[in-house]
Amino acid sequence: MSEATNPETPLVNWVLNGQPVQSPAGMTIFEAAKALETTIPNFCYHPGLTIAGNCRICMVESNRSKKPVISCSERIAEGLEIQTESPMAIEARNAVMEFQLINHPLDCPVCDKAGECDLQDYSYDHGPDRSRFDEEKNIRHTKELGPTIDIWGNRCIVCTRCVRFCDEISGTGELCVVERGDRSVVDVFPTVPIDNPLAGNVVDICPVGALISNDFKFEARIWNMRKTDSVCAGCARGCNVEVQSLDGFVKRLVPRENMEVNKWWMCDEGRYDYRYLLADERVTACTKDGEPVEDHDAHETLAHWLQDPGGTLGILVDPYITCEEAFLVEQIASHANNALVGGWKPADGTAQSFPGQFTISGEKAPNRLGVEAVLGKLVFGSQGHALRTALEKGQVSTLIVFAGFPHPDPDDAWVQAIRKAKRRAVFALQAGAWTEGAGLVIPGASPFEKDGTYANEDGRLQRVRSFHAPGDVEWSHDLQRLQAVLRIAGLRPRSLSSSAVFRELADVKKPFHGLSHSTLPATGAPLPGFIPLPVGVEGGSV
Amino acid sequence: MSFRKIFTPHLGDPNCHTLEFYEKTGGYEGARKALRDWEPDALIDEVKASSLRGRGGAGFPTGVKWGFVPKQTDKLKYLAVNADESEPGTFKDRVLMERMPHQLIEGIIISCWAVGIHSAYIYIRGEYVHAYQRLVAACAEAYDKGILGSKVLGHDFHLDITVHRGAGAYICGEETGMLTSLEGERGQPKLKPPFPAIEGLFGCPTVVNNVETISNLPYIMEIGAEGYKKIGPESSPGPKLYCVSGHVEKPGTYELPMGVNLLELINDHCGGVWKGRKLKAVIPGGSSAHVLSADECDVAMDIESLAAAGSMLGSAGVIVMDDQTCMVNALLNVMKFYHHESCGQCTPCREGTGWLEKIVHRIAYGHGKLEDLDRIDTVCDRMVGKTICVLADAAAFPAWSFTQKFRDEFIHCIEHGGSPEVKRRHPDRIGGGLHV
Amino acid sequence: MSDLKFSEKGMKKYEWLLTRYPDKQAVLLPALRIAEAEFGELGIPEMKYVADLMGISPARVYGVVTFYTHFRRAGTGTFHIQVCSTLSCALRGSQELADHIAKRLGIEMGETTEDGMFSVSKVECLGSCDTAPMFQLNDNYHENLTLDDVDRIIEDCKKESARGGAR
Ligand SMILES: Cc1cc2nc3c(=O)[nH]c(=O)nc-3n(C[C@H](O)[C@H](O)[C@H](O)COP(=O)(O)O)c2cc1C
Ligand code: SF4
Ligand code: SF4
Ligand code: SF4
Ligand code: FES
Ligand code: FES
Repeated sequence: MSEATNPETPLVNWVLNGQPVQSPAGMTIFEAAKALETTIPNFCYHPGLTIAGNCRICMVESNRSKKPVISCSERIAEGLEIQTESPMAIEARNAVMEFQLINHPLDCPVCDKAGECDLQDYSYDHGPDRSRFDEEKNIRHTKELGPTIDIWGNRCIVCTRCVRFCDEISGTGELCVVERGDRSVVDVFPTVPIDNPLAGNVVDICPVGALISNDFKFEARIWNMRKTDSVCAGCARGCNVEVQSLDGFVKRLVPRENMEVNKWWMCDEGRYDYRYLLADERVTACTKDGEPVEDHDAHETLAHWLQDPGGTLGILVDPYITCEEAFLVEQIASHANNALVGGWKPADGTAQSFPGQFTISGEKAPNRLGVEAVLGKLVFGSQGHALRTALEKGQVSTLIVFAGFPHPDPDDAWVQAIRKAKRRAVFALQAGAWTEGAGLVIPGASPFEKDGTYANEDGRLQRVRSFHAPGDVEWSHDLQRLQAVLRIAGLRPRSLSSSAVFRELADVKKPFHGLSHSTLPATGAPLPGFIPLPVGVEGGSV
Repeated sequence: MSFRKIFTPHLGDPNCHTLEFYEKTGGYEGARKALRDWEPDALIDEVKASSLRGRGGAGFPTGVKWGFVPKQTDKLKYLAVNADESEPGTFKDRVLMERMPHQLIEGIIISCWAVGIHSAYIYIRGEYVHAYQRLVAACAEAYDKGILGSKVLGHDFHLDITVHRGAGAYICGEETGMLTSLEGERGQPKLKPPFPAIEGLFGCPTVVNNVETISNLPYIMEIGAEGYKKIGPESSPGPKLYCVSGHVEKPGTYELPMGVNLLELINDHCGGVWKGRKLKAVIPGGSSAHVLSADECDVAMDIESLAAAGSMLGSAGVIVMDDQTCMVNALLNVMKFYHHESCGQCTPCREGTGWLEKIVHRIAYGHGKLEDLDRIDTVCDRMVGKTICVLADAAAFPAWSFTQKFRDEFIHCIEHGGSPEVKRRHPDRIGGGLHV
Repeated sequence: MSDLKFSEKGMKKYEWLLTRYPDKQAVLLPALRIAEAEFGELGIPEMKYVADLMGISPARVYGVVTFYTHFRRAGTGTFHIQVCSTLSCALRGSQELADHIAKRLGIEMGETTEDGMFSVSKVECLGSCDTAPMFQLNDNYHENLTLDDVDRIIEDCKKESARGGAR
């Protein structure tokens, strides 16, 4: 990868399918061809793992060899001529496909991988029309490998991606190939299950349906699911994910490649943490003094409170609100005569780093930095402190709380403090200590239902998107609710899209200058000129 | 020049494995000479000039291989002696290690001096317990007498030898499989390049040579490249150990010049085909070599001649089959071997070896179809030249040559309900289930 | 927790081995051989012990042990008869030899007698093709075998076992 991006790397002249081409020296044929938009099939190759070269599907014809060569390991060189579609290359691929399939079960109709299975996909292109294999198929084990993962051994093509992952990336080494020849299959040591914070990734990288996640087993067919690019909110790393959902329910999260953030991986804590979306405590309707009310009533009430806060207006934010929401918070505050904005964030955990240069952040929320970039670097620090002190002294008349935490672990001091506000409105994901006794409770959106941007711990701004189909569940967009309230209060002329709000934000907030939703790359971009305070100096939790 | 045996002349003596005996018969003179009289580079040239070629199977020129090892390198260099000897029909290295361990050690000293190596490993197959013990004892003697260790034979040259036991896997005879196994892993061959001479054991430049190859070196030191080249054919000269097994009167290890005629070997040295029967076929170089039919056996047993005859010298494991042998059953046996021994990394080998065994099994057990013969042919086609090591090819060669050269027999089996040998042995199984 | 542990002698050998290789994992095969000799077999606890001793993952040890066929896996009989069944031996009657042994012991190839005394399996070429048919009994080769030889060897094993000897 680095060869490709480093402009210093000398170029090599070679020939791909008859076309003279140039590529940066040091690349493999496979990588160079890919950069030139010629795809070569692969099973065992994975850009994040060492090269095994065992599946042989990527064989191509080379002018330097009598035999076909594997493109995932051979490197390009001056004068090299490669054919990916010559009779030799095609025959080599067909041969491998035939061998892959002879002992492979006819499982596609019941296999969870169907729809995203490399073997299934390639077999349409390169597989034999009809099996010439009249023998009995080999049988290998189907068993549990760990609390979250099963293996269907008959489907395993022994590409060793999963083994290499546990050796090289998680560094936990729970997987191995046992036996040899066509008895080979992936297994764990009998008393040591696969159970590491990154384990779920082996299911993603298994090119076939041999490794199956218990969480997703038989849950949905791949092609029926709605797929939304977003960002994990489990910690401040902000791993890029694809949220896969069916009929308005999240079925699973899978990582999206982002070399600057999470490479190809994500952690299990983030991956499996979406059930809170369906928790019993989930707030689904507005209430006023404990009684259900229409959305409009609730919005109107809050608008009136804003027009006349009756003294100091307090706004307590959390690091789950998007930058766009934070911007609206600032607008509200700037219209009030007397406003205090402060933040609360969940306690930090410990960061975990893995040999594969993947880190789970110790900061267990997605957007502290983004909120700080909008509301000030001290919002979770001394500003939060000031708000709490004012609350404790009974100096706050109207308080708006953003309680979007998936796992509200009430911070006693704060819970006591917010109760001292004369009036309290809570945008809440879940009912609990934060909503108890609140005059207004308004359903909050989970991070997977928001539309906007988060900045991760490196200050990289990334898009989050709601997995719901557009127009489906507008009730859950905090940004829209806030704008509704502001419109009624006469503070904003009309409701805009998240992208439009971001444009306003980018115009006035220096760290966001020059950025826009539409130009933000899929992998996000660093917030220009935003230098967060070093962790522990001031920004830490109160 | 009359042929002088160098490996086997003393095998009659029960003490020939001891240091005392070895030194009494001129042992370690070659190593002394090398250390005293030869600059390493010149020594490599001398070995090149001798045209010594590897005895492990591939027949690569030994001196040339040594020349590939980088001269200037910060890394350590290693010698890994291939004593995995697992090619069916091969047992010469076992004889050398059990009976002439000091000859091997002397050869190792000479090789290491030439290439600038201070650490050698002998990778011996796990089953060879007796040979292992002999080697360990011989090394201990050699350390004890200052032949190994910090001052080899009193010279300013240090050398350690470690004998390392394998644990039962044919594939660990393939050089990179052996290196991975030595590194404590599953013995799976590695991708080449890099070749071991550049990046081998522990990521360092490594020479891999067979036991017999190395055991030639003391003799080359003794008579010089010129003298050595005069033994047998010029392109692959030297004394050679032939392992003869199967249907001969006197199976055994025979030391003869390279290029001995195969029929002469069988008839004159081994007492001919057993029980007065006729010759049907010979595998001349371990089971990976193409089989020769009786009428192809008038051939010189050297690298070039056998290649010209469409087979190979390989490991010089000569397996003789008489006219009552069922070739279908024989091939089934060979296919079972490769199926069992494929390391399983590469798709074509992992799947192909099993497939071939299953087809041949079906034929032998009375379920064959005529199209199976073409199928064997194309399955082999799809295996050859597409894998990390050449085990896949080694499995395909016998499958091809047996079915081509003895096609009538296969057809007969297909048309008459299976192999006569199977019918005789398991009348109940013929026509029954597939996996019995 | 098992209380497996190398003897002092075994540990000395292990430590010496560590000095013979620049990389620790290279000691795995030899260390497994020590374990085999000291504990009698390589089962789950034995593999785990070696893994912990060497500081490598148990799965890696498991993958290695199952790759090779010559380690004494758990459940192997006191006397392990490994009959060579590859071509040269087959040409000279290894099949009859194997059948005879199986019948004599009342078990199939790959099985162990109920009393745990004998295991018998077919293995690939043992590099003793000129003395076919042959088998390996624990560490030793028995060559040029006739069926009578087999009977005698089995009887000898039983006697040895009665005397309390094993290998
Ligand atoms: C499947 C396979 C098995 C092999 N087995 C052996 C063996 O048992 N002993 C050996 O010396 N060479 C064996 N070889 C050859 C080695 O790869 C290598 O060429 C040889 O050890 C080099 O030594 P030499 O040049 O002295 O012959 C084998 C090769 C293959 C492909
Ligand atoms: S389980 Fe999947 S990833 Fe692992 S080796 Fe098998 S096919 Fe490859
Ligand atoms: S590391 Fe953090 S952002 Fe990445 S998946 Fe885990 S919790 Fe989510
Ligand atoms: S060809 Fe066969 S034995 Fe050789 S590396 Fe590939 S799978 Fe293993
Ligand atoms: S992708 Fe190249 S060999 Fe598997
Ligand atoms: S075939 Fe039995 S020892 Fe070689």
